[in-house]
Order: sequence, then structure tokens, then C-alpha cells
Amino acid sequence: MLNKIKIWHFILIVLLTIAVIRYTHLINLLCLLLALSQSLFVGNINLSALIDISLIDNIISLLLIITLPITILSSGKIKKLLSRRLKIADSLLILLLACFIFAPVITLQHPDFQKNISVTKLLPPFSLVDYIELKNRSNKNDDNDLKKLINKVVPVSYNENIIFIDSLIVDSSTIYYQSGFQFNVDKNSLVSINNKPLIESKLFLLGSDEFGRDVFTRIVYGSRISLLVGFGAVLVSFILGLTFAFIAVEQGGFANLFLSRLTDLFLSFPAIFLVILIIALFGNSIISIIIVLGFSGWMSLFKVTKSEMLSIKSKEYYLSAKLIGLKNIKLLIREILPVIIVPVTVNLIFQLSNVILAESALSYLGIGTGTEYPSWGSMIEAGQQYITQSWWLIFIPGFTLIISLLSINEIGREINKFLNPTIK
Amino acid sequence: MKKDFYWAILKRVASSILVLLLLITFIFLLIRLAPGNPTQKYLSPQLSPQLAESVTRSFGLDKPIYVQYSSFVLNLFSGDFGISYNYRQPVFTVIKDYFLFTLIFSSISFIIQLLLGYLLAKYSFRKHGKSIDRYLSKLSIILFSVPTFVIGLILVYIFSVKLDVLPTSGIKSIYHDDLNSIEKLTDFFIHLVLPMITLSLAGIAVFYKYLRDNFDSVKSSSFILNLRANGFTKNEIFKKHLLPNSIQPLISIAGIEFGILLGGALLTEVIFSLPGMGRLTVTAILNRDFPLVIACTFIAGLMMVLSNLAADLIKIKMDKRYLKELIN
Repeated sequence: MLNKIKIWHFILIVLLTIAVIRYTHLINLLCLLLALSQSLFVGNINLSALIDISLIDNIISLLLIITLPITILSSGKIKKLLSRRLKIADSLLILLLACFIFAPVITLQHPDFQKNISVTKLLPPFSLVDYIELKNRSNKNDDNDLKKLINKVVPVSYNENIIFIDSLIVDSSTIYYQSGFQFNVDKNSLVSINNKPLIESKLFLLGSDEFGRDVFTRIVYGSRISLLVGFGAVLVSFILGLTFAFIAVEQGGFANLFLSRLTDLFLSFPAIFLVILIIALFGNSIISIIIVLGFSGWMSLFKVTKSEMLSIKSKEYYLSAKLIGLKNIKLLIREILPVIIVPVTVNLIFQLSNVILAESALSYLGIGTGTEYPSWGSMIEAGQQYITQSWWLIFIPGFTLIISLLSINEIGREINKFLNPTIK
Repeated sequence: MKKDFYWAILKRVASSILVLLLLITFIFLLIRLAPGNPTQKYLSPQLSPQLAESVTRSFGLDKPIYVQYSSFVLNLFSGDFGISYNYRQPVFTVIKDYFLFTLIFSSISFIIQLLLGYLLAKYSFRKHGKSIDRYLSKLSIILFSVPTFVIGLILVYIFSVKLDVLPTSGIKSIYHDDLNSIEKLTDFFIHLVLPMITLSLAGIAVFYKYLRDNFDSVKSSSFILNLRANGFTKNEIFKKHLLPNSIQPLISIAGIEFGILLGGALLTEVIFSLPGMGRLTVTAILNRDFPLVIACTFIAGLMMVLSNLAADLIKIKMDKRYLKELIN
């Protein structure tokens, strides 16, 4: 039975699971989307003031979760492409990609959400924390429905209405305890059922860190940084390698010699110091990290593409395309790229795992992307201080990183085996 | 033959020097192009502009860039790296201790990597096709993909936090000065066990995997079959034919690996807070201590070039055909 699961089956299963678990959130999103499109036609509110990145993020997730199964099921081509037998590495990579795309749906929290640190800090995995909720004081009708819907859907980094507690005593007044301290709260201001305050509990699936932030949420959002930097940097190095190889092959002579020497220079020097130097001098943002890591990895791609291009150069179709008078850009995109992309894929995949590793190492050293999203490397770095009391702060991001790298490498090897059957 | 040899070496050294010069020029330009001025770090904005100017002049930063560059290159070749902005000492004195530590630490780690990689590959080749062989090769792939800092922290967690047998960081205990010389040595040893394992594991996996695969590919070539048909024993074939042929491609890799190690094992040094070149370089970069940055990168580049040169020499020694390849 398990042997018969194909890749597209697994993708559908993952999507379905997400949809089943988060159906309330998805329905809310759908309502919001309808309301938004309605107001777009009526045009009575300022849309640009309402819409922010995390809202767009949510809506994209919703649209993808609806359209992806339809495209997979309806298109024979995609089904055929994804009809390989499912291996563990494939399933892990699919889960990683799911985290990357559907982060706001998989976890409904903001990665920086923190409240009542004394109760929620450094909790081990699978711990439950009770919380009581205050009634929304600003519950007036001047907020329109759209705003309310958005507030329901978009995660916030701080919510004053939620109070995490250790224990609760209900007398004439309500008393709750937070790590030994006693607090009073007005009974009527609490959300309550049958005159008793409603106690709900929140699950910290993978524990919480030193600021009481949920590790699971941070891991899920952290996959975005890793993969974004990974894809971006690989794209940059692919473009660089391709262009340089094209120049070297087409121009020959001095350009070829210079580029080959340059490749040797970059290959012979440990890239990490150059990367750190450039980032330290020119500032660290996600864009600069993508560009610098891309620049530090173009050499192997240059070598591969160059050797492929040399063999293409004397092929007849290429010569005739050149004689027709195609421009260089068109030659590169129309004639060379489709031929080259297959043998280069393996290299690109290995490059991806290298870049993810490099990004996490940079974050570990404290010169990472510096965005609001947490990165796995910086999570490990932060957890290092608490190594004696909370193992999960290091081990969970560490193992996530290891598993991602292993599965990416494994897929690279599989494709390599498929393309070159002689390799064992 | 002798003349050929010297010619090849000369050519090789010349190209290495060129590469080094390119590297240094690149870093020099990068530093001077970057925004920010190193003097700002030592001056508060309230101080008079005259003072700022005099500090800039004392650092030699007021001259035009080509003058700075030419004097910098001249000083470099006369062995003068200048004075560190941060330590207020000649760069050479600052680097000396760090470099000595890195040299010893990296060399030991390199020897461990080569030796263990070789022994494991040999063992697993003997057990060809058995389950232990397959497990070792799987393990090597896993170890190769695991980031150094994760391995290091896992080791610290197991051995220092849970078992409490080895120290977490540093190279000596607080009471180090009271110990006699043998105890001092064991103290160093105990502190360096975990860093050594952390640094060496990935290298062992690389050497193992490479050697193991080479053994396989050489074994299936026809000259080995011929030898076996002629009745040579397995041991003899392994020692005289299989090993030299499969070890050769490994030498260039070992050269590169050693060069990188001598440049400083940054992540290992950061985890265990060791006084090595890697951490020195990064602190210098973050402090904008330019003479120190340039000296560190120069030394890293020099080590890289030297170890590659050594690898080439060993390769020539083993196989004369490589000399021709080098000349052309």
C-alpha cells in the first residue's frame, strides 16, 4: 500500500490535511476575500490602508490551497511528472515547501507573539498553558466589518486580551496566579460561559523559547528565510555562471583566460570570510545576503555550463541559429538554456543545500538576514545560552536544518543517478 | 627532467603570487569602497574636527587611494602589516599567538581526518558488500550534510551538559596556572577533545567517501583483473596498485582542505570560543580593523596557496605524468 503512493498523491494528502485542520481559518479567509472584492466594486473604503503583507500572504495561501489540487488533478502533464514513487526525502521536501508556501495557514500565530513571559518562557515541547481572555473593550460599532474580519485573520505579535495563567481561583472576585504572583481581575471583564470564566489552553507543540514565543511557529516561518535565500542565491549564481560561461565560450581568448583564472581564485579561497567581509562592510539585508551568497557560488555552475556550451557550440542547430542572426540574449535563452537546464539541475540542487547551510551559518554567527522572520541559524544561536535547561531550543531547529539538507542532497543524488545511470 | 621540474614549480609559484596579489587588491578595494570610516569608531562626535583629522592622518587615511595602495603593497612585501587599529600593536604580534594555535589545532585535526578516513575506507572496503559497509557509507553522507555548528552543539549537550565529563569552551581551566607541566598538557587535551571531534567529523566523512569510491572504481579496472589473474595476493594488489592509484585524486582535495583549515575553523572556534584565526578575522572585520583584516586574509590565502603547492609536489613525486600536465 505504502509503496503505491506517488508524489502527487502525497501533495494532495498534505494539502487536504492542512485544509481539514485549518478549515475555520480558511472559511474566514474566504469571507474576507469576498468582502474585499465586494468593497472593491463599491469602492467606499480605502483599500490600500487595510491591506498589508501578511494579509496578502494569507490570501495567496488560500488561493493556492484551492487551485493547487485542481491543477494537479486536471493536468495530465503534472501528474506524469510527479508520478514517481514517493521516497522519504521527497515527502520531507514537500513538507518543507508546504511550510514555505502555507506558513500563515499552518500556524495561526505571529512568529514573534509573546505575552506573559514569566509563564510561557522555556516550556518543553507538548506543554499546555491555560489562558483566560478579556472581553474586547473596544467593542464599539464604529469599526466596520471588514476591519473585524481582517483582525480575525491576520496574526498579531501582541494581544492584550489574552492572559496566560498558572492557576485560577473564582470567588467574589477572580484571582489568577502567574509564577507565584497573585493578580486580580474583574469577573465581568472576562469572556465567560455560565458565569464562569472560560479557561482555554494553548498548545506549545515544540516548546517555547526564552521570550515565550512558540518554537513551532518560528520553525515554520524560518523555512521561508532558508528557502527564499536558497532559491534567490541559486538563481543569482545560475545567471552569473550562465552569463560568464557564455561570454567565455563566445569571446574566447582573453575573456576565457581571465574568467577561468577568476574561477580558480574564487574556488581556492574560503568563501565564508569574503562573504562575512562584504556583509559586514555593506550591511546585511535579505537582498544583500542573497546577492553575496549567489556571487560566492557561481564557480561550479560556470564550470559545468561552460563544458556543456563547448559541446553545443559546434552543433548544427546552434550554428544555423547564429547564422540567421539571432541576438546573443536570444541565443542564450532559446538555444542554450533548454539544452543545458537538464544537466545543470543536479548542480543547482546541490548549490541550494550549500546556500541554505551558508545562510544558517551566517545567522548563527549573528550576521544573518536581520528581518522580522526568525531564521533557523539565529534560533540555534539564541538557544545556545539555554543549552543546560532547554535542549529543544537547539535540537529542534538543528534537526530541521539537518533533515532539510539531507533530503535536498538525497534528491540531488537521485536525479543525478537518473541522468547518469553509470554512477552508483 | 630536472629543468622541467624547476620550470614547472616556478610557473606554479608565479601564478600563486599573482592570485594572492589579486586577492589582496580585491580586499583592499572592497574595504576602501565600503561606507564608513574606521576613525569614527574611536572618536565621539563631540570632539573637535581637528582631532578627527589628526587621527585620520595618523592612520594614513587622508592620502589618495593609489598612494595608500602602493605603500600598502610595498609594506606587505617587506613583511610589515602595519599596526592594528583595535589592539594598538603591530599586526604581526597580534596574529602570532592565534596563528600558532590554528596551526597546531588544524594540523592535528587534518592528520586525524586523513588517518581515520583512510582506515575506515580500508575497513569498509575489506567488508565489501556487507551491511557495515553500507551503514558506514550512509553515515558518511549524513555527516557530510550536517552543519558543523549543529554537530558541535549536540556534542556539547551530550558530553558537557548531560554527562558532564568535558568542558564546554575555552582552551584552559581557570586554575591552569597552578598546574605542573603534565597536568597542563592534559588540561589542554581535555579542552580540545570536543572541538577536535567537531572539526574533524565532516573531513573524515569526505575522505572516507572519496577513498571508498575510488577503491571501487579502481578495483573494477582491467589492470587489477589482470594482476589477479596472474595470481597476486589481495594484500599485494591493495598495497602496490590499488592504494596508489586511488589515493591520487584525493591529494588535491586534501591540499584544499588543509589550506581551508589553516585559514581558521571559524564555526568550531565560535562554538567553543577558541583563540584561532577564524574568530580573529571575523572580529577584525566587525571592528573594521583593516590592517588586521588584510593580514588575516593574506595569511589565509598564503596558507591556501602553500598547501596546494605541497599537494602538487606530492602528486609530481607520485606520478611523473602530472608534471607534463602542469607545464602545459
